[in-house]
Amino acid sequence: MKCEEIAQLLPDYLGRSLKQDKIKLVEDHIGQCAECGAQVAIWQKLSLIPDEQPSPMLRSRFEAMLNAYEEGKSEKRSLAAEHRSTVGWNFWSWMRAPLAQAAFALIFLAAGFLVGRHVEGDRQGTTGNTQELAALHQELTSTRQLVALSLLQQQSASERLQGVTWSTRVGQPDPEILGALLHTLRYDASVDVRLAALDALRHFGDEQQVRSGLVDALPRQQSPLVQIALIDLLVELRDADAVQRLKNFEQTPNLNPAVRQRVQWGVKQLSRG
Amino acid sequence: MLRVRDGVGEMLGVLFDRYHSPLYNFYCKLTGDRTLSEDLVQEVFFRILKYRQTYRPGTPFRAWVYQIARNTRIDHFRKQKPEVEWEVEMSPAVVPTDSAQQKQEAELLHRALLELSEEKREVLVLSRFQDLKYEEIARLMGCEVNTVKVRVHRALQELRQIFQRLTDASAIPSSRTPRTSEESSGV
Repeated sequence: MKCEEIAQLLPDYLGRSLKQDKIKLVEDHIGQCAECGAQVAIWQKLSLIPDEQPSPMLRSRFEAMLNAYEEGKSEKRSLAAEHRSTVGWNFWSWMRAPLAQAAFALIFLAAGFLVGRHVEGDRQGTTGNTQELAALHQELTSTRQLVALSLLQQQSASERLQGVTWSTRVGQPDPEILGALLHTLRYDASVDVRLAALDALRHFGDEQQVRSGLVDALPRQQSPLVQIALIDLLVELRDADAVQRLKNFEQTPNLNPAVRQRVQWGVKQLSRG
Repeated sequence: MLRVRDGVGEMLGVLFDRYHSPLYNFYCKLTGDRTLSEDLVQEVFFRILKYRQTYRPGTPFRAWVYQIARNTRIDHFRKQKPEVEWEVEMSPAVVPTDSAQQKQEAELLHRALLELSEEKREVLVLSRFQDLKYEEIARLMGCEVNTVKVRVHRALQELRQIFQRLTDASAIPSSRTPRTSEESSGV
């Protein structure tokens, strides 16, 4: 069979909707024809692209929306009224649910950010607007800080995770945010949240507060995972004080062997630099 | 599904469980942007809630959801120019069992996918990752089934070429000029 004829069958073959008697025809052909074989190969190779996991934020936002809907319904507002003031209706319902409040703030921020960018694009160059933009930006930053801080204090680990994520979106973090992140790194009950906090702190490695906080956090960690990640970050930041602290830490009794190995590696790396 | 139309909010939760991950992956693969993908998924569920009356009982529900998903994306990019740039973040975060080479191949493949035209990319994502039948895709896009098959075929050809170019470029950086001339030729 010729390649053109096979080409007509290939999509069905790939989509597993080809009739049994034709399947053999195609398979015989692709066994011999490199060109058509490659077509099948790239289709199969696509499965290498992994599935992504949405963040917990997606579900929170959805639930906020659903809460708003449920509350609106329980108040027995007429459908017509809902249509007339969808925004107001959502707004007031969301303001009442605590989880929804955070989500609402996030959505509002995103919208504000988009508007900000739009405004920036439209009116570049005028000084009055630049000032306005700066003020807007300042407001956005401080609101983000607020969101991050309030999320970091939540009961649920997934919400604290969101808090950590938010803290990295604050361009210039203030000491309060950094303090909260360091506190999370030291005391949070969840290893995932501690690791996320560590990742967030990586962005602010130039801050002295972060550097000393990281070194202090090391002896307090119980989880080898976090310990190793911390050592790696200290090496990455090439902190001069870290060598001695690492050496001290190595003397800790009952240290996990993998962690001990990592400490030795870290000391070597830092002494070399 | 019918109950959504009748306004029972809890059912939306069931739909969310069933569809949020496929939809999120649909958008991730199409746009290469995680944050945007989450925004779009959120918008889809908002629209499902808002326009639930437009679902016609007896018609395939999945098709209706994907119709909304498509429109949501089209509306988004109507307001904003599409940027399908590869963000480093999009590389798989943790793939413990895969070798480094497979990880790199996956990354290059996704980049190649993002270089395809909208039409070709969408048809591949829908058929390969969302497991939609060609008939469903044809109805969704408002074209003949055969057109969909031809698009799949051309998309794969082009994808192969782009993938080859990216692989060559990543293996021997800057020593080879990328091939571009034959890519648009198709079948």
